[in-house]
Parts: sequence; structure tokens; C-alpha cells
Amino acid sequence: MEIADLSYTSPKDFMTLGCGSLKNIVDQSFRPRHVNLLELEIEDLDYDREIKANIADNKRLETVGLHPIVDDSPVFGIDTSSIELGETKDGILCAVRGSIVWRYDNGHQYTRYGPFIFHITESNKRVLYNKLRQAYFGSRDEVSAPSLWWMAGRIRNVLERWLQKLICHSCRDSLLLWDGSLTAWTFDSPVSVMSEMLHVARNRGNITLAFSKKTKLYVADRRIADLIDDRSVPCLLKIDDAIHLQYGSSLCFFGRVYAAKLAPGCFSFRLDIDREVPEEEGIHAVERLIGNDLVIESYPETLRLAHITTRFSASEVIGMQRYIAENYGVRIVGRPDVRQVLFGPYAGASTQNLEEKWTYDAYL
Amino acid sequence: MMHIYKIDGNTLQVVCCPPEDVRKGDYLLVNDAATKRGLIAQVVNTGYANIPGILEDILREPSTDQVMGEDLDPLEMKTYVNMIKDAKSFTCKIRSCVVNEMLDDDISWVPSRSTSRVEKLSDEKLIKMAGVGKYHSISVGITKGGAGVSIDLASIDGKLNIITGKKETGKSHLSKLLVLGLISRRGICVVFDVNGEYTNLGYTSEGKKGPFYDKIIVLSPGENFKVTLKYAGLNVLLRTMISVLDLPATSAWEFRRIWDYLEKSNMLSLGKLGGAIQSVKNNYVQDALLRRYESLVSTGFFTDYAEEANTLENVLKKVKMGGALIFNLQNLPPTFRRIIVEFLLNKFSQLLGRWVVRAVFLFAEEAHLYLRETYWDDVITRMRHLGVFTTFVTNQPDSIPEGVYRQADNIFLFNFTNENDLDIVSRATRVDVETVRVIARELPPHHCLMLGKAVENFPLIVKVNPLNAKTMGETRMFFANL
Repeated sequence: MEIADLSYTSPKDFMTLGCGSLKNIVDQSFRPRHVNLLELEIEDLDYDREIKANIADNKRLETVGLHPIVDDSPVFGIDTSSIELGETKDGILCAVRGSIVWRYDNGHQYTRYGPFIFHITESNKRVLYNKLRQAYFGSRDEVSAPSLWWMAGRIRNVLERWLQKLICHSCRDSLLLWDGSLTAWTFDSPVSVMSEMLHVARNRGNITLAFSKKTKLYVADRRIADLIDDRSVPCLLKIDDAIHLQYGSSLCFFGRVYAAKLAPGCFSFRLDIDREVPEEEGIHAVERLIGNDLVIESYPETLRLAHITTRFSASEVIGMQRYIAENYGVRIVGRPDVRQVLFGPYAGASTQNLEEKWTYDAYL
Repeated sequence: MMHIYKIDGNTLQVVCCPPEDVRKGDYLLVNDAATKRGLIAQVVNTGYANIPGILEDILREPSTDQVMGEDLDPLEMKTYVNMIKDAKSFTCKIRSCVVNEMLDDDISWVPSRSTSRVEKLSDEKLIKMAGVGKYHSISVGITKGGAGVSIDLASIDGKLNIITGKKETGKSHLSKLLVLGLISRRGICVVFDVNGEYTNLGYTSEGKKGPFYDKIIVLSPGENFKVTLKYAGLNVLLRTMISVLDLPATSAWEFRRIWDYLEKSNMLSLGKLGGAIQSVKNNYVQDALLRRYESLVSTGFFTDYAEEANTLENVLKKVKMGGALIFNLQNLPPTFRRIIVEFLLNKFSQLLGRWVVRAVFLFAEEAHLYLRETYWDDVITRMRHLGVFTTFVTNQPDSIPEGVYRQADNIFLFNFTNENDLDIVSRATRVDVETVRVIARELPPHHCLMLGKAVENFPLIVKVNPLNAKTMGETRMFFANL
């Protein structure tokens, strides 16, 4: 394990590009996002794509029983988050942060990267996105940037891939836990990047496991968790063939897909295990995971801590807003909330999902 | 940096971020440049600003506390986040308004929330602005900020003061300081000393004679202070017998008849009075008078011998240029104590009525022990007009009637932790309840919250000056020799 190297590596381009973008705030004013006292879940820019897999029947599904193996295997978890901080005349202000957590001496340690703050406008988003892709994906082809509102998620994704790459290159004989899946997408998870990372990880004796909270798995319209008896946990349910059948034509699966119920309870998660690793070895890796890491509600503690340490709190959002105001001489201006003005008490606080919030905005 | 958060009535809420060292009792100045006006507000409570999601942060921390880690935080955001988390909120009470550096009572306006500057008002500046201790004054202590606090003689002259607080917080210390301060300004003080605490006030803390040694006259009733019946006079004696010894009206009438007879016959003495009472024909009246007579005799306060008798006029002469008459009531039985106090108050009223003395400052320690209920009103109204300016010192605030608090011009409030005591004081004082309840609870020993005219109605927390005088009472200790 060469984890000591982690703290010496920092995503410098995030820092320089982020700070550079902040200097271009026109008319020196911004409208901070409102942080609601009752709104504890303020992390809103999570673009992990959702898969709904409804398998027609479970006759073909194979259950794999697991037996915990205690061998002090190192376990690493990676997670990132992004958040909108406010709006300027030209665009949005957002922040990203990432975290690597690993089990160490029966405890956990972490290295947290960021926050990195970006001012994204229509005019700089393409340059910003492509520079980051070049720096961290090594991608030479220039792509068009997504809509302004998806940019924060894309930047977060670059940071996440960079952290994953860092771990793949730094660790040996470890279990690498990613948040999400081992599925390649067009822009944010290019096939070449994913393929190379997993290749490096394998060569260094690591096994990559990805836990997805988003995928909803149903068998004959019943939640897959309900099908697995608590008496047979920990276990895996092989759903790879069924998922392939449904999504194989549109997505590139780098992982063998399972439904994992690692502890008694009401949750099960989609688990992707590096497809290039022999199946037995992959299952063996899961057994090492449950033997060496704490697993609560089928979710590994290392990955849970990675999520907790990377997540932004309300006070951090306010702190970052103040940082921008103080360091870039930006004036904070309040702009009335359209919903509140129009609907008053009937506006509702928690009804504003991403789409609803943006439909009235002039930037779209 | 401080900002107005909201104003509700005379309550101002200020948010402070980054946090500044502002404490309970401190004063803030809200300067509204647009209207050229300012508000003076006192911080009565402090706390954290209500930061959204802070509860989530706190609840989240224990799970990450056990996780060792390193933050690669190139923007050093942690300092900003900590600053936000530590943002403070101050609840203040608006005390006054400032227009062109002058105080103004009109606090009906509201300053601009966006442009007003909120800053800490230094104690020196406040004291200067308010004019506390501007003229002939007595130095009483210093504020937390180190500003000296003096109180004008005018603010205690002709006024009713209350010094209250729990045991051993420094009430008597302040009382002694005021006594010595008044003496230094040629004031005449009368002290009812129930614990014998003032008897050594003439000595320095080293036990040597102090600068006011000659001006402190300690009078122990029945020992070095006795009076003749003639000096006491029928009215004073009869009133004392009725109020303290519950002499019935018929017996009082008979006593008056006997007294008149003895006085006219020039035979007024304890012995003759006793004999005359013995000869009263009605057994009930005789018995009633005899029992009261024996009570009076047993005090030893009355004498037939002119050479051992004294008069208040005589002792007042000794303190003509300022001084204190300490009436040592320590170890006296309750009835005797009440007889003495009743006698002295009546006699002083007479002397003041005759302008024998201009006025006296009366310091009454634990007055409930010797002052009958009906006397409170007399002390704070009639006697005040005659020139008895009272300072009550007590550790039992419920022993003083609520009406007395309302009449009080100055209250010197020391620490109270008991809820009931705080309740009584906060209900009765003229300052808002929150100021008393919050500040008084946290006052350290020898610190008092001064309320009233002495501080021009700007409540101030003052650390009372040390005193170079032997101040401790003579409490007998079991382990004194250890």
C-alpha cells in the first residue's frame, strides 16, 4: 500500500481553473443559493444515472452465498460531491469536493480534496470542461460542454475519475470501492478512461467493486431485496445476464452486475465487479470486503465514510459564499424567489426538484 | 463584524461574524449614518447564530471524529466554515439613543439594517456619554473593560438604595465602601449592624488605625450607649412599647397617665416607674404594664444615671464633619434589637424634624430581622422626606416588600443563582426581566450589576473596589486554631 503518496498529489488544475473562472465575475455581484434551515439535504447536483431493471422472473437468477474472509485486506472508498453556491449575471457558482477513505489499523483514515469553486458561464464552460478532460482523462478530442446546470456534475465526475485513477495507480492488493457503477458513458465516463483505470488496478492486484444506490432492481415488479431471505445473507444475486439483456445495446458494462445483500435488513445494492477479474476471484473479493470492513445495511462503512466526508453541509455552503464575497470583492444581492412570490405559503419547500427549479430560470 | 438581525420592541438582535469578544453586560452602538442617529444597546444574552444545518454538522461529526484525516484544502475554506459555525448572536436591550453625541430618549425609530454600523461601545465612552459619576462622586469600582466607575453623590443623596445578592458575594463590602465614601464627603451614616461587621471599619486591613478611625463611632446599646427615660420621651417609648411589645391600648393609656404624673413630679426614673406600675389597681393592666416594663429594663438600654447615659445629639456632634454611627446589634435578642431600632428611628425622625441634623444615610443590614412590616412604608416615604436616606442590604430579596423595590432609586445586584430569588428581583426591579435573570446569575463574586440613577439608568457590571479596612465580621470558628 502506497497511500502516503495521496496527500502529495493534488488536482492542481482544479485549483487554477477554478480560481481563474472566479476572476471573471461580471458586474461583481452574485445571488447566493438559499440555505433553508429545514433543508438538511442540500446536496443537489448528483447526476448519477439511474437504471431501473425489471427482470421478468427469477428462475434464472443464481444466488451466491458469501463467507466472510478476514485477511486484513486494505479497503479504499472514493466519493465526490458537487453543490450549487449561487448565480451570477452570467452563470452559476458551484463547488466540488472529493474524498478517499481507507481502513487503517482497525480504524479509518481519509484524504479530502477541495472544495474547488468554479464560476461557470456560457462563455467559459466549453474551455473549462475540455481543459479538465485533457488534464485528467488525457483526452485530446474536444467535446461540447453540457448545459450550464449539468456542468457542476460533470466537473465533479472528472474529479471522481481522477481520484479513482489515483487510487488505481497507488494501491496494491487492495479492494477499491467506487460509488456508482462500472458502466461507461459517452462523456463523463469514457470507455478508454474506464478501461485503462481498471486495467491498472488489476495489474497491481487490486479488485474494483462499485456500489450503486441509484439502480432500482425489480424482479417481476417486486423489490429484489424482498426476494432475498435474511437467512441466506450475505449473498449475491447474479443479475448480469438480465441487465445485459435490457441495457447491453446502449451501455458498456465493465463490471459483472450483481444484486448484493451483504447484511440483514431492508436494503440491497447493485454491485459491479470488474468483469476482467475471474468470477470466483470477484466473489472472493466481496467475501474479503465483508470480512475486513464493517457492513451495515449491506453498505460498506469505508464507502459510507467517503460519502460523509465529501458531502457539503449548510455551514460550508455559507462559508464558501462568504469566501467568494470576501476574496473576489463580489457583492451579494438577493433576488426574490419566483415560487415564493407567486405562490406564497403554497410554494412548498421540498417540492423543488432540479427540473422544477430550473424551468423558470432565464438561463435555460 | 456585527450586523443587525432584528428589532422587536426594545430587543435588538445582532449577529456577529467573525465572532468578536462581546460579553453579557457590554454595550453596543448602532450607528445609522443616514439618519445621523445611534442606538445604545446592552448585550443581555449571547449565543450562537442559528446557522442552517448546524445540527446536521454536529450530528455528523461523531461519525467522522474517529476517522483520522487530512484536508487538501487549497482555498483554506476551513477557516471560513469555522468562522460561520462560530458566528454569534447577541440579544440586546435598547437603552438609549444618541443624536450628535448627545443622549436622547426617543428610541421609537428603527435604524437601517443594511447600512447601520454596529460596534462595541467602550465602557469609558459610555460612562462619559451618560455622565455617570461626573460631579462629586464616590469611586466604587471598575467595569470589565477596566473603566473606573464612580457614582454621583446626588444619585444616592435623598434616594432609596438596595444592595442584594446571595451570601458572600460582596454586598457588605460595597455597603462599607459606600459608608466610607460618604464619610470622606462629610456625610453622616447610621448603620444597623446585625453581624458586627462594621465595628472595625475604623481600622485598616492590617489592624492599624485607618484614616476614618475617629469618624467611626461604634455604639453598643446597653453597653456604651444608654439613655435616660426622660431623653427617650413618652411618645418614643410608648410607640416602641405598642409596636414591639404589643402593649394594649388601655394599658398604654394607663402608662401615659403614670408617665405624666412622674414627669410633673420630677420623679421620672426606672425605679419610680416600676413602683408606679406596681400600684396600678387593675390587675390586668398592672400585669400587662409590668411585663413590658421588665422587658425594657432587661435590655439595659435605659438608665437613671446621667453619667452613663448618652444622647444621639451628643454622638452626632462627634460626626458633625462626617462619620458613621455603627449601632452594634450583634448578639442582641430579637426583641431588644427591635426596641433599639424602633427607638432610634423615632428619635432620628424627631431630630431631623427639629433640624438637629440635616440628613443621615441609614444602612440597614438584614432589615427584616428588626423592622416590623408596617415600618417599611414609613422608612421609604415619610422618613425619606425627613432626611433618612436608606440603603437596605439583604441576601433574602423576598424579605423586602415588592413595593420597596419599585420605590428604589438604585439597586446594586450581586450574584443570585436561586430561581426564586431571581424571580423576585427581576419582577420588582424597573429594568427588564432578562437583564436581571441572565446577568445576575453569572456575576462573579465582588461584581455587581448597578441599576438606577447612580448609573444614569445604564445597567453596568462593576467589579467593586477593594477596601483598605478591616471588614470581616467576628464569626466564631470551631477550627480557628488549626
